[in-house]
Amino acid sequence: MQISFTPEFAKRLRMDMELQGKQVHNPHGGGNTYELERSLGEDMLLTSVGWANSYYMDDKPYMDEWGIGWDVHPYETPFGTGHYTEIASHPLVNDAAIQGYQAPDPHRPELYTASEQMLHSFKDEYWIVGVTVTTIFETAWALRGLEQMMLDMVMDPDLANHLLDIPYTYHLAAAKKLVEMGVDMIWTGDDVGSQHQMMISPRMWRKYFKPRMATFISELKAINPNVKVAYHSDGNIMPIIPELIEIGLDVLNPIQPASMDPVEIKKQFGDKLSFWGSIDEQRTLPFGSPEDVANEVRQRLVTIGHDGGLILAPTHHVQLDTPLENFWAMVNAIANTLYKRYST
Amino acid sequence: MDGELKAIYDAILEGDMESVTEGVHASLDAGEAPGEILNTALISAMERVGNLFEEGEYFVPEMLVAARAMKAGLEILRPHLADSGVDPVGKVVIGTVKGDLHDIGKNLVGMMLEGAGFEIVDLGTDVTPDLFVAAIQEGADVVGLSALLTTTRPTMKNTIQAIEESGLRDQVKIIIGGAPVTADYARQIGADGYAPDASQAASLAKELIS
Repeated sequence: MQISFTPEFAKRLRMDMELQGKQVHNPHGGGNTYELERSLGEDMLLTSVGWANSYYMDDKPYMDEWGIGWDVHPYETPFGTGHYTEIASHPLVNDAAIQGYQAPDPHRPELYTASEQMLHSFKDEYWIVGVTVTTIFETAWALRGLEQMMLDMVMDPDLANHLLDIPYTYHLAAAKKLVEMGVDMIWTGDDVGSQHQMMISPRMWRKYFKPRMATFISELKAINPNVKVAYHSDGNIMPIIPELIEIGLDVLNPIQPASMDPVEIKKQFGDKLSFWGSIDEQRTLPFGSPEDVANEVRQRLVTIGHDGGLILAPTHHVQLDTPLENFWAMVNAIANTLYKRYST
Repeated sequence: MDGELKAIYDAILEGDMESVTEGVHASLDAGEAPGEILNTALISAMERVGNLFEEGEYFVPEMLVAARAMKAGLEILRPHLADSGVDPVGKVVIGTVKGDLHDIGKNLVGMMLEGAGFEIVDLGTDVTPDLFVAAIQEGADVVGLSALLTTTRPTMKNTIQAIEESGLRDQVKIIIGGAPVTADYARQIGADGYAPDASQAASLAKELIS
């Protein structure tokens, strides 16, 4: 089991569990603490280095070290007001800014202090995941703007390659360092799926992302052949899963069930791939009943977890619109299951 | 389709903005009727883009590039359309509902609607129910509500309620789209329709006003 939270949900949960909320870390949810995650009985702990840490950096507008501007945006739920941080400006939106742009340095020792401490404290007890998500595409579109980045990928491949290399180089350096430090798994990825189909064509993914991701994975495994690599993309990415397996992927995240059928994925790829996620944060957790949530957990255990290879998790940070009853229904259904019942 | 219009049509499918611009100028100079250029070249090309999208041949980037090329042609054509009395097929007010800043889906819907011959009033993102109501008061045939977040989904319902309370509900068709919504949800909150993507949103709007 692995669960992360938006800051306001984490606060609500800490009050419910009477925890203090010490040492917030950011596997890009803000408000997540190892204290909370360990108290819940999670099996994996995450430590993040890279642009994804720019989410939830402040409660007022800010600029991150990449030059990307952020706004803080409130939203209302039945359980109070939450805040999302949203990208507000892109430093490379104008062509003129691209040539002289200096990305942050991924080799600064202080970037890895928190990871070192958590490895020291928890490595014996937990599966440790080094997080370098938003690896290529997402950071590039934050720098350039999503529409312009897409236009570049169609009309100016040289420029697109130059832009994509900026975050790719950074996150590869960070992931290699985390593997050298001893993490058990690297979580990489970019959103290339939309709700019903891929956001970009499989052809375009092959052109820009597959070669980079292949090198990324092989360089990590050259440092430690036993390190596992997980890939994240929201939405439907069915057409590229065979090629992710081909380039050495071990774990697919988050298996958004409103977009891709977990049973079908297990059937097609279950012998070569493990899964992380699959509990619906888009429908069941916010809008279902506690019974719906517990049923979904049990259904996943039977359909895609019966022979192992499943790390149960919500498909995104648990959001403030999720009732606590639903959250506990998920945690309890996972924790109270006798796993040998599902083994074959 | 004659050679010049076919060239514009092909250039839109290729996303070749420059050739579209040149083609529209050349067609106008040659005395082609603006309405003919619009329907035969621009709207037909965007219909084809929509089909290619639904067939899984084009994806968001290709659609963006084509729409951008079409728009360049439309900008040149617009004053000529007005002069020759060619009216838009209808007026659509679009916006991402209050609390939600995500706009790529909404922008694509706007582009595909524009490519289908509609006039678009884009209210942007984080749009309050009052702003939608005010825009409808200015005249609209269709209203398109967009949301990406589960937390802003309920705001679609509130927006439709505000439109009902303003007494304008019967004047407009309301369509919704975005990741957290479905056709069922559209029915539940009293919308007239749901579309899963930008291309189908354009077909839906045409259907609703015909």
